[in-house]
Amino acid sequence: MSAYSVNISVEAPVENQIQEITYDGQEIYTPPLTMSEHLTKLAQKIDFAKCGPEELNKEITEIDKNEDEAEQSTAPPLWPWDSVRNKLRNALTEVSVLADVLSIAKDKHYMVLDPVPQEPPELKPMVQVYARKKALAGAASVLLSGADRLKNLQAEALRNRTTPDFHIELLRLRQNFRLKKVSNSIVGDLSYRTAGSKFAQNGTFEVTKAEEDGDSPLSPPCSPNASLSNKPTSALRVTVPSELQGVAFIKVFFQKDQDSLTAAQLNLPSSSTANAIPDMYWQPKLEAAQNVLFCKELFNQLAKDAVQLQSPIPHIVVGNQIIASVLPGIQLVIGLCHSGVSTDGKTAVVPPSSNGHDHVLEHSLHQLLRELHHKNTHHPFPHPSSGPIGPSKRRRLAGPCAADREELMQMTQSETMLEQVIKQAQHINLRDRTLFVLDRLAKDIKDPLITSHWNALNSPTQSCVKINIVAHMYDTICRTSLLIHVNETTLKCITRDGRVIHMSYESQELRDFIMCQVYLHQMTAVQNLAKCMGWQCLANSAQLGVGAVEPFGNASSCVLASPTGERLISVRCEPKSGVHVTIAQSPRKDFFPGQLVKERKWENLGGSFKEVRWDKMEGKNFLNKMELLMASLTSS
Amino acid sequence: MGVTILLSYPVPENKTGPQTAELLIKRIGALGAVQSGQFLVDCETFSSGPTMGGPPRTVHVLHNSEQPAAVFALLESPGPPPKTVPLVADGLFDLLMLKMSSIYASKKQTRMEARGTRFEIADFLVKIGTVTMSSNFKGVLVEVEYRPCFIAGNCWELMREFMQSFLGSVVQNTPPPYFQVHNRLNDVYQPLDTIQQYLDHFASYRKVAGL
Repeated sequence: MSAYSVNISVEAPVENQIQEITYDGQEIYTPPLTMSEHLTKLAQKIDFAKCGPEELNKEITEIDKNEDEAEQSTAPPLWPWDSVRNKLRNALTEVSVLADVLSIAKDKHYMVLDPVPQEPPELKPMVQVYARKKALAGAASVLLSGADRLKNLQAEALRNRTTPDFHIELLRLRQNFRLKKVSNSIVGDLSYRTAGSKFAQNGTFEVTKAEEDGDSPLSPPCSPNASLSNKPTSALRVTVPSELQGVAFIKVFFQKDQDSLTAAQLNLPSSSTANAIPDMYWQPKLEAAQNVLFCKELFNQLAKDAVQLQSPIPHIVVGNQIIASVLPGIQLVIGLCHSGVSTDGKTAVVPPSSNGHDHVLEHSLHQLLRELHHKNTHHPFPHPSSGPIGPSKRRRLAGPCAADREELMQMTQSETMLEQVIKQAQHINLRDRTLFVLDRLAKDIKDPLITSHWNALNSPTQSCVKINIVAHMYDTICRTSLLIHVNETTLKCITRDGRVIHMSYESQELRDFIMCQVYLHQMTAVQNLAKCMGWQCLANSAQLGVGAVEPFGNASSCVLASPTGERLISVRCEPKSGVHVTIAQSPRKDFFPGQLVKERKWENLGGSFKEVRWDKMEGKNFLNKMELLMASLTSS
Repeated sequence: MGVTILLSYPVPENKTGPQTAELLIKRIGALGAVQSGQFLVDCETFSSGPTMGGPPRTVHVLHNSEQPAAVFALLESPGPPPKTVPLVADGLFDLLMLKMSSIYASKKQTRMEARGTRFEIADFLVKIGTVTMSSNFKGVLVEVEYRPCFIAGNCWELMREFMQSFLGSVVQNTPPPYFQVHNRLNDVYQPLDTIQQYLDHFASYRKVAGL
């Protein structure tokens, strides 16, 4: 073509930048950025400090502007994400520091967070005043309503001055009995549970407010009787359970062995002594109910014992009576008398008790039950205090004292209440019998005087009596003493010379024994008297084997010789037929030499004994007569 | 507690222990004795460990079925002078010894027992028992108690005569060695004396090896 045309090549501009131009003119282009490289380049430009979306647009325009400038200044990063990692690391550091500060500040040892004083909020005085006024008004309304109620109550109390205040009464009731509020009623307990009783019957009573009766003092009374009776009314009414109402007591008495079956069917008269006034003052009412409960428990316990005990004559439990035989022919009757509430309100006449009941035994029974309660609550405290609670002191000592099996067995035995009462009853019976026998003997026997001194201190099952037998005016010559222990069914007699005699409850045995002692006393007294008078006792025998056999005891005798030896007195005491005294003279008055006995000297052998007519003898009593006899024989 | 004499009856050569016991029972039965139960006297020995220091001490804990509520313990301390301390305690003492197992260790194999029947004949109580040590037979012990008396010197002659009637010439004419020391013949007899006699016999049985 022409020489004047220039070939023009049109090509796109070079997109990749020229990294370097080699000396031979070759251009080395930087390799085009891959997608990820491009992304990292853009991410580097992101400033994570300000990350709002409105700034992102700014960023993008900035990135476009700065792209040209930035390429020369920034050195190629070692790792595309390096700045991102640095920024994240900085953020982690900041957060860790914050966490550390918080944990240190929590302990308050090295760092404490103090609130920065804020500015006080602005006061709105009027609002405060209004708030306080409202609160005070609320409180005032509560107090006013309470005061109104109290004023009303007081006004009411002033009006009915006769009725005591319910609350004061309740306070007094609480001082005596335990009360509990159950839902909206007041319930009390009058049983002996806290004192140690294990009786199943509950003794809960209810306390209610005594409602106003229809007839106030102003309105005319319906019957003339009601208004006249000035019964003390009470503001509270007490309702006791129906089985505890009325009055009960335990009656104990002895009865001779009649036809025991019919006696068992005898109903004890229920003495209706309770005046059933509905508004009776609560204290006696509750006390009566408590007594009823106590008597019921006592009778229950005795009935259980009676059924369980094995005795030769079984105990009979019939209705409200327990019949136990104390001695053959005598029975002990324990009865529970319970009078219910009489519904008609009339005061009934109390029938006089048919036979005198034994108050001592009744008291004993009460004491025994209380003792049972006491044992249930009071356990013996061990020494050392780390020992087990339960064994009694004797059982605890059984180990260190090496107690053997019999002692341990004895510790386990215990007596039931009925057994104890029967023992006491037996003792009372025997004591009365002994008393009667001794008094009778003292009255009947005049010659030596018998005196009995009973011990002032006794136990319920043992008494002691000391008996002295002396002759009147000769008490220094001779006195015989006996000591008798009266147990439940036996008597033990201890004489001065150490003999111990056990007797049964038959009074004849005691009588016979005392009679024997009386005559032994006479014999001893005669011998002592002889010593005083100068007479010599030649022979004596306490249990003589000659003569008729005595029905009880033995005859005793002694032979006395006068100081010169010329007179002899022989005394024989027989418990049955009394005293026989015979005298003899030594040189015989009636000696006549006969065919067999020739010489005079044989008159000294002594004559025969001749009986003295004792009833004609001078003297106030036996010893006096003996003394006078001895005196007369000595002198003549 | 009456005076009690404890005798060891030597087992003859041709008889075993239980046969000897049977023979004695027959003899006492012929005298009219009535059997009334069994008896057991056992002894356990504890010895002190090295933690206590000093020479080792032994505690013997004995039980006697005649005094079931009591535990007897005798402490033998060999340190000069050698002395034996007796103690009568409640049953809780056994538990105390269990608690002290770290200080006083029990030697189970030396547990000795005297077991047999007891007979009552008038005022006497006769117990014929065989002694075993961890089920090895050791000997026959006869215990005779005279219940009304508690001073040994007053009834030694009576008891000797009674024992010779059914034990024969085994019974010496002099009181046993236990009673000859410390004027024990004139002291009030205690249950502890019975236990000490048992302990002496058990000790002598322990020394006999074999059987």
